[in-house]
Amino acid sequence: MKRLAGFDTMKARSVNDPVIAAFRQHVDLSLLRENLKLTPAQRLAKLQSAVAFTGELRRAGRRMRDAEGSG
Amino acid sequence: MKTQFDKLLPALVQAGVEFVLIGGVAGIIHGAARVTYDVDIVYARSGANLARLAAALAPLNPYLRGAPAGLPFRWDAATLRNGLNFTLTTAAGDIDLLGEVVGGGDYERLLPHSCEVEAFDVSFRCVSLAKLIELKRAAGRPKDFEAIAELESLLDEQSL
Repeated sequence: MKRLAGFDTMKARSVNDPVIAAFRQHVDLSLLRENLKLTPAQRLAKLQSAVAFTGELRRAGRRMRDAEGSG
Repeated sequence: MKTQFDKLLPALVQAGVEFVLIGGVAGIIHGAARVTYDVDIVYARSGANLARLAAALAPLNPYLRGAPAGLPFRWDAATLRNGLNFTLTTAAGDIDLLGEVVGGGDYERLLPHSCEVEAFDVSFRCVSLAKLIELKRAAGRPKDFEAIAELESLLDEQSL
């Protein structure tokens, strides 16, 4: 993937928002650093797996609620 | 329904649709860790592109997301031409089609702020990380605060 245009990067850094700064204190940098070791295609594949996993958990939750409702 | 990014994005590319990927999936491509469930694109509004976009998604039976079942909805280039932004659900998951995006304008204005990405055996344009931050800021939604914080952290990490 091509690097960013320098102008864009400067512009994105030009805003110092205290609200965003507060949120930044809680960003898990270790997760981001692991992602940055992957290619964009690998990151998308990881997202696809996460979405499938979430879907399976939701289905399991639904089954559990249905079983409780009928029990 | 599970979103199939590996079906939605190739369907657009293989039909020759001109688009720039934005939103949460663009964030993922840049390294974000936040899971997202829909695809957001800004598409070119030329007549030819509207026809390609209509043809690309037609096999996936697009329908207005959240609309009651049975509502008359015709999916074709004319519908696209008569509207601008569409939030759709399809057989391969949810997709938002934006003719314009706050802070980024239309496809032609966004294109210089995008980069080529290869995934799922196709290549497509994805908004730059810096522009994505601008778009999120311009949207001004409280729900995006965490995402902006994460994207800004990524920008710093990438320039280290």
